[in-house]
Amino acid sequence: MIARIARKEFTEMVRDGRFRGGALIVLVLLLSALLMGWKHYSDVSAQHTAAQRATREQWLKQEPKNPHSAAHYGVYAFKPKLPLSFVDQGVDDYVGVAVWLEAHKQNDFRYRPAQDATAVQRFSELTAATVLQLLLPLLIILLGFSTFAGEREQGTLKQLVSLGVAKRDLALGKALGVLAALAVLLVPATVIGLGALALASGPESLAMSTPRLGLLALSYLGYYTLFIAVALAVSAWAKSSRFALVALLGFWILQSLVAPRVATDLTRWLYPTPSALEFAKSVSDDIAKGMDGHSSQDERTQALERSVLKQYGAKKLEDLPINFAGVALQASEEYGYRVYDKHFGALWDRFERQNTLHQVGAIFAPLLAIRSLSMGLSGTDFAQHRHFATAAESYRRVMIKAMNDDVTLHKDADHKATSEVYRSLPDFEYAPLPLPSVLAAQVWSLVCFGVWLIGSTLAALYAATRMEV
Amino acid sequence: MLRSILKYEWRNLVADKAIWVVTGLFALLIGYGLLNGFAWVRFQNATLATARSEEVTRFNKLKASLTAIEQGQEKFTGDAFADPRQARTVGNNKGTRYAAMPPGALAPLAVGQSDLYPYYFKVSTLNKQTFLYNNELENPTNLLVGRFDFAFVIVYLYPLLILALSYNLISAERDEGTLAMLLAQPVALRQIVLGKILLRGGIVLALAVVCSLLGAVLSGANLLEGDTALRLGLWCAVVLFYGAFWFALAAAVNALGKSSATNAVGLVGLWLVFVVVIPAALNVTVTSLSPVPSRVELIQAIREASSAATAQGNQLLARYYEDHPELLPKNTKVDTSSFALRSTAVRETVDKAIAPVMARYDRQLLGQQNLVERYRFLSPAIVAQEALSDLAGTGLDRYRHFLGEVDKFHRGWQGFFVPLIFRQQSITAADIDRLPIFRFQEEPVGAVAGRVAGGLLGLVLPVVFLVWIALPRFKHYPVTA
Repeated sequence: MIARIARKEFTEMVRDGRFRGGALIVLVLLLSALLMGWKHYSDVSAQHTAAQRATREQWLKQEPKNPHSAAHYGVYAFKPKLPLSFVDQGVDDYVGVAVWLEAHKQNDFRYRPAQDATAVQRFSELTAATVLQLLLPLLIILLGFSTFAGEREQGTLKQLVSLGVAKRDLALGKALGVLAALAVLLVPATVIGLGALALASGPESLAMSTPRLGLLALSYLGYYTLFIAVALAVSAWAKSSRFALVALLGFWILQSLVAPRVATDLTRWLYPTPSALEFAKSVSDDIAKGMDGHSSQDERTQALERSVLKQYGAKKLEDLPINFAGVALQASEEYGYRVYDKHFGALWDRFERQNTLHQVGAIFAPLLAIRSLSMGLSGTDFAQHRHFATAAESYRRVMIKAMNDDVTLHKDADHKATSEVYRSLPDFEYAPLPLPSVLAAQVWSLVCFGVWLIGSTLAALYAATRMEV
Repeated sequence: MLRSILKYEWRNLVADKAIWVVTGLFALLIGYGLLNGFAWVRFQNATLATARSEEVTRFNKLKASLTAIEQGQEKFTGDAFADPRQARTVGNNKGTRYAAMPPGALAPLAVGQSDLYPYYFKVSTLNKQTFLYNNELENPTNLLVGRFDFAFVIVYLYPLLILALSYNLISAERDEGTLAMLLAQPVALRQIVLGKILLRGGIVLALAVVCSLLGAVLSGANLLEGDTALRLGLWCAVVLFYGAFWFALAAAVNALGKSSATNAVGLVGLWLVFVVVIPAALNVTVTSLSPVPSRVELIQAIREASSAATAQGNQLLARYYEDHPELLPKNTKVDTSSFALRSTAVRETVDKAIAPVMARYDRQLLGQQNLVERYRFLSPAIVAQEALSDLAGTGLDRYRHFLGEVDKFHRGWQGFFVPLIFRQQSITAADIDRLPIFRFQEEPVGAVAGRVAGGLLGLVLPVVFLVWIALPRFKHYPVTA
């Protein structure tokens, strides 16, 4: 019986001009978004790979120079793009594309692509994620608002129920029908997406991306299921189909337009972000005056001098078998690491708390959950940016240590590092955040998502079985 | 006649509770948007105040230590990087000044792009890239989503309020069967439509305008000062005509003679097209027609140029003095081992080498912006958004103007220090008072008004067009379904 209802529902929808028109527009937008996303991904990816190679070349080809000067010259780390970013750009346009790894300083990422774009970019971007998160639910509303309310107005609902069709079966059949109509759209898009993914990534990253793509598809399926359930519930509960439409559109507007921005502002009220000026001041204060506030840089160096002299049983720095300058440089770097870890750690924790709040907001607006999940699985959320930034910073520390060690080993003040020393620094390799950690950052999205899924299904069943005929 | 239409419509509206709930909600959302705008402007002002006081403290310290050294009370023992008498040290860190763009008078009304662009720079003698990309800290997720400000309510939600009030302007009368009775009276359908729109428009547009004025006044904008009144006037005009566009659209859709439900779906579809689809499509078109080359290339270009220049080292310095004999030190010999000299010569060379690369970025960005300027007329939502942030001074144009001012100041700053560095002259306490100061010159209001006037035209013309196609159709309106 359920299958029969679903088939009837499906046939009716596919024959409906409004659905055909709407679906065609959405399909065209989705496919062009996928195409643009794929092109963008391959362009940026090629650039970053080339640049990463070039920055390594530049490092290796440095003329012999003071190792500390080489550390000042440093290298750049370019943020690699994960293949699935062609589905969801996430925050990629709002974080810098590269970070300069140099002596003494943990730099912030530079060059946010959004700053090189016009203001229309912030209206809405044509990415597959936008279409999937905003436009498809609208199509579902269009398909679902009159399911029960419309039949009731036409009087066919009474006939159906009098035939002995269980209301629950009716609801399930109708839900399946809508889902089948959506599948007409989503199946080709997924196939094309898969093809693009296979083209975009080598075998290794394909192995990494496939489970993520699978979960991504599952998440969107869940999102549409909950939207269908909401639409059916409202349609069963509403007095008229007009009212159902207005209520559903209102819900769509609140969840897609209003809720995300309200969440942004709430996060700023609850967890204020410090200004860049304050941040820089607290970093430089901690370095200059010490993290405890009363061990200045000079005092720290003097203490180090005493302990190194004692260690080697020497009276003067000149008597040491090593170059004290290198030891001092490394010690001051290591003090810097502690300071940077404290401040960047606190800042990034704060951003993550803000993002958790965005996720918890999903209890009011499921879009917030699916957006967070989608960015996470596409590898474009803040947690994964942080992971890359942390990896780049660890590499900086390896580089600095290698150079300082070379200073320490040579007592000659005019010592110059050779290309061997440059080569001793391994190339920067980055392994993306593993899937379990990606999901761990999405706990609240998943919880809210589950609540919505169960809640909306129950609501749909409840409303359908109790509805007035 | 019009008066009695207005009177009865008013009675109808008053009886409808839903309208008052929706309108009240709208006013609440505006209030919330304004609060957010205030908070952001307060944050910016507080940051700028901190920057100013930091600068004052630093300058006092610098002057005190210079005076102490000059009067022989103190002997300087540190290296050149810490020496307050070194021109390079002063121009690069100890004596750097902030160049700030304070939020404009109407900034609380529209956050615009101001959360994305820096609003102050610490200008030094180094090349511009070193300070130009020092952004304000912000969670990228928040940047992606954007803020909930007054302009957002106007651009996105205000049209929906208007459509909710007018999607069934005439179709409801017909659906309920009252239209035939109404038209049995000596009244033209057009007059009824006009009356209905005048009343609804009066309520909604007045609310939006009053909120704009209130928001501006409450945020402390002084209307008598400078161009604030003109900007606020233009703001209200944009709000009015943007609203008029949506009323005209609703009337035109009503004129097609379809049922209320069809009108509602059609109008929501049009809203989606204007507010979501066209901007997204325009963005894609603009970025593919006039792509901005990746900044990754810029990074590489700068590094290549600086490695090449550094490798030349001393030759570069010698050549620099050949090119600028007037900068040769008068009484001392050139200290070729000086890091200050060499690094400045390298920096000058790198600046020259990358100038064409930088110019290419600016050209492409300008090209993109020009495309947006031209094609924004495809969607009144883009026109309104651009005009509102332009008037609030939080759009791209004011930022570009600020960058221009900073560029001038930066060149002046280098012009002050570079000769001192090459002549190997020391900085004195008296010099500190002579350092250039940045004073932000507001963009001439004529330029802003010109751009906004173009935008207003882009709102008025669609209204005229819609009225022109709708009017004849009301003559043949199917009075019964």
